[in-house]
Amino acid sequence: MNSLSIAQQAGALRSYFPDSRVTTTAAYALTWVASVTPKPLCDTYQLRLHYVLGHRPHIFVVEPKLVLAPGWTKLKHVWSTERQELCVYYPKWHEWHPGLYLVKTVVPWASEWLYHYEIWAGTGVWHGGGIEHDEEQGKK
Amino acid sequence: MLTREQEEQFQQIFEELGKSLDITEAQYNAAVKSYEHAGSWLGREESPLAPYRPEISPQGSFLLGTSIRPVHEDDDFDVDLVLRLNGKPYNWTQQSLKQAVGQELRKHGTFSRMLLPEGRRCWTLQHADDAHFHLDVLPAVSRAGFSQIKDKLMSVAEMEAAVDLVFGITDRTTSNYSTSTNSLDWPQSNPFGYAIWFEDRATVRARQLRSIMNAIKPVPAFQPQKTPLQRIVQIWKRHRDIIFNGDEDKPISIILTTLAAQAYRKETNILDGLVNGLNRFTEYIETRYDNRRNRMVKWIANPVNPAENFADKWPEHPEREEKFYKWLAQAKKDIANVTEQRGIHRIQQGLSASFGETAVNRAFSAIGGQALCERESGALRMAAGTGMLGVVGRTPVTQHNNFGADE
Repeated sequence: MNSLSIAQQAGALRSYFPDSRVTTTAAYALTWVASVTPKPLCDTYQLRLHYVLGHRPHIFVVEPKLVLAPGWTKLKHVWSTERQELCVYYPKWHEWHPGLYLVKTVVPWASEWLYHYEIWAGTGVWHGGGIEHDEEQGKK
Repeated sequence: MLTREQEEQFQQIFEELGKSLDITEAQYNAAVKSYEHAGSWLGREESPLAPYRPEISPQGSFLLGTSIRPVHEDDDFDVDLVLRLNGKPYNWTQQSLKQAVGQELRKHGTFSRMLLPEGRRCWTLQHADDAHFHLDVLPAVSRAGFSQIKDKLMSVAEMEAAVDLVFGITDRTTSNYSTSTNSLDWPQSNPFGYAIWFEDRATVRARQLRSIMNAIKPVPAFQPQKTPLQRIVQIWKRHRDIIFNGDEDKPISIILTTLAAQAYRKETNILDGLVNGLNRFTEYIETRYDNRRNRMVKWIANPVNPAENFADKWPEHPEREEKFYKWLAQAKKDIANVTEQRGIHRIQQGLSASFGETAVNRAFSAIGGQALCERESGALRMAAGTGMLGVVGRTPVTQHNNFGADE
């Protein structure tokens, strides 16, 4: 499938999130910063999405600082606990590819991730599905 | 101030909390099977009770659908039962009835091993296995015509007739325990009338299933769906258990149940019912002149027998009255605190402190599981602007697998 252009991706992000900030670098990269509230009783999170054509998109929680569930030393399903970079799809299965709109994939996945993160932070069990590297990794 | 969407999310949370306090269907069915077995034994042909067609039925929370698990889930829960005879030999006293029931239970191999030493009002059958419940059997005698009234009320609830479902019970501490043969002079109880009243209070829609009265049918079925009032009562009982774990002076269930039902205004949202109800509890605590004590006392009337005061122990045990008001103040504080939290994990933390970590954890795990199910079934969508998830929204949340392990 053909890749969507940076302009197409940026336009869709702006259309869905009129209050967000989208900056593009020439025709090859974009950065999107927006606030999401996954559920009415959830916290509000500032997300930053960084995407360079030809690379996977990176999505971070800018703030607040995420908490760890009791008994855990790392967040679940992240590229990095320290950078709060979420890992919302399984790269090997091409669940995301450059032909898909970020605002219809990575963004809702991140919102859903955040809801499950809050439930995980309370229960200590990840109920949001996904593929485990190692069940016990990150547990004290 | 909560938005309508926030109230709806709290509704899901409190409904799941209520469900996680429910005894399991397996426990329910095991309890019913066990008491029905006892009922058939006591009514078998050779039993001296047989001519009076003894009927065993649940009363109290098991009948009202407001039973909750013990805080320590390995502890027993009790199932309150009435063993009601339709009439009795003319010369029987409370004592004769109580002893006859005890003797019949002792004739049965299993029941004789389960039987605990005689209680004040009940015989208790204690399960030795891992069933985690015991049966409290209260012997009782009803007058002629009782069954007809009961059968009629099974189909049409009439509060006026509910007061007639009163019957005589046994209580070893009454002065005429071994002398009076007139069951009208025995202590009186009306658990079925109370249940009809409670069901009437709980009914939100006119054509609602008569779930409570089904429990006194021969084979009651487990009811997974509960009314908001049933959930409210379960939630307050558990809060009481957490605050006063093991304290004998804690507010008794019948007081919490009666006040919650009186204060209920058919709120369909459990949180609304919890908050509004608490503010009205004290309206249903009267101050009445007590003839026996020659002074004013606090009075929480039995709705099907206003002459009965559920708070009748308060004058002799003022600490019970104090603890009731302490509980009420704490409940208001705790519920306000929970509703002010944002972040599901902070709400869970607040609820855990008030309702117990095990039950609350189970509730939130169920909520997490439901969210995953919603997405997997294709029903989850994301709203534009806020990124909020729900059944409506501009884009569906498509299938994906969270990955990554912070390497």
